[in-house]
Amino acid sequence: MDLLLSDGGIELKTNYRIQTVLVLTLLLLCSAFGAAEPGGNGDSIQNMQCGGACHGDASMNETSGSILSLSSPATIYVGVPTTLTLTATNLDTSTTRLVGLFLLTDMTGHSDTPQDAGWEILSDANGGAMNYIEQKLDPGQNETSISWVLRASTLGPTTFYAAIHHGGGYSSPFFGTTASGFEVTVQPVPENLPRLSADFTPPTLRTLDTPTEFNIETQFTDSMQFEWKSEDGLIMNAIVNSTENNSWTATIPAALQPTTVQWRVILGGEGPEQTTPWFTLAAEESSWEVTINAVYLQAFALLFLTAGIVIALQTRFSSDASTSKYDEELVGIKTGVSDKTPDDLEENDGGEQA
Amino acid sequence: MISSQTFHVVTTELVVGAFSVAGLCFMFCTLIHLGLLKRPSWSAIFDHVAHFTLAFGLAATPFAILSGLSSAPGEGLNSPILVNKMFLSMTGFGFALGCLLARWRLGDKVWSTTKSTALHGASGLAACGSILLTASAGGTFARGESLLDMFHLPYEHVLLFPVMVSAIALVLGLTMLVLSWKRMNASSTVH
Repeated sequence: MDLLLSDGGIELKTNYRIQTVLVLTLLLLCSAFGAAEPGGNGDSIQNMQCGGACHGDASMNETSGSILSLSSPATIYVGVPTTLTLTATNLDTSTTRLVGLFLLTDMTGHSDTPQDAGWEILSDANGGAMNYIEQKLDPGQNETSISWVLRASTLGPTTFYAAIHHGGGYSSPFFGTTASGFEVTVQPVPENLPRLSADFTPPTLRTLDTPTEFNIETQFTDSMQFEWKSEDGLIMNAIVNSTENNSWTATIPAALQPTTVQWRVILGGEGPEQTTPWFTLAAEESSWEVTINAVYLQAFALLFLTAGIVIALQTRFSSDASTSKYDEELVGIKTGVSDKTPDDLEENDGGEQA
Repeated sequence: MISSQTFHVVTTELVVGAFSVAGLCFMFCTLIHLGLLKRPSWSAIFDHVAHFTLAFGLAATPFAILSGLSSAPGEGLNSPILVNKMFLSMTGFGFALGCLLARWRLGDKVWSTTKSTALHGASGLAACGSILLTASAGGTFARGESLLDMFHLPYEHVLLFPVMVSAIALVLGLTMLVLSWKRMNASSTVH
């Protein structure tokens, strides 16, 4: 681009104008590719449109060919955890092989999470308690099945839906939903049914290298078995101790790597024996700690040290200013308001036009 | 009222955008003044744009840092990436501050010699680079990936000085800043 300065105005040669427009157009076109998030957004509580993301935008997305289906146990009691399983088949994703899966209670795009319908998510397949979770498929894998553990707080029917977001050819954002709603009916819990306490919230995270002790509160329970399994699927039992009436503890070994385990309890009592859903527990490294004051002190030291060094050197280098041949030429062709210090501007009353 | 996360996104976009433009203009300015780019008529434009956008980015930086602190999950700086973000953004802030103060008080003289030109251009580019690294660390923290992942930057490692070293560095920096400021004022009043 060549700039011609004349009479205080700036003219662009026609050729360079065209080139500039072409470059800007190209940059604008590139933004559509750069705006994608192929790395996903992470597990979270999301509505069907994922907060207005590209996948939920009807003008941008494409229909996913995935087939989604939901399933649940035949009987669901109020206040008792239950499992909803989503099976996705015919998956075709982008090169990142990342899929985002939603559990929803309507298809309006707002107020459509299970929480909005009075359900509490106790556990998801990734070791959290989110209605939107992301999974990375293995090469060649074109189906997956994931489960959420939920607890209903009200009686009556609820219709669940599932949705999927994923990438595909030419970076298109794909979007798909279940063909129809999946209705479940919450029934009153029978008297004397052994069950987890209504306010029991299972842990979803634990730290590495530390055995995990579970403190489990139950109702109408005389005995408990604790089962857990790691990612290889082998089911193991942990020793259960009763600390007081309907209060139990069990300990599982420490995790050495950031993996997930699943656990459940089998409850015995006067009523029929009950087996809880599999709860997912993820292991992560213990939280990182640092002395905050030392960080702030070093941050401000870096700020003032860099500023001080720059100004000190600049003052030194500029003080012995010897105008180079090139600079003399530059001064001769400079136009517009010259770059002067405030003191210069005061002296010249508004600057200088070269 | 918007959340601190949204405010952080807004301010970081302002900061990164402004510093990116500033970095580009500093690069062109340096090339022109070193005679590597034979377009002397562009010099004034790039000089003005570089310093204006740098000042704009600098003004937005404190808001980005503060909103970043309040929007981080958990309590305080609980991740090495966040600490590195803090160090990088403050370093970029320092480079930009030094660059702008020098340009303000010394005027055209910052481009007067080869050494001065190289230093001024380098400080402007360093400010831009620090902020872009900060943004990259933010991407790694929030999304687990960033454009600069190809360089395998060690965001997970923190170089934390002993408190005494930081204190000495702080005093040294402030002293240099004050002395240089006086010297620059003396220099500029000669005009």
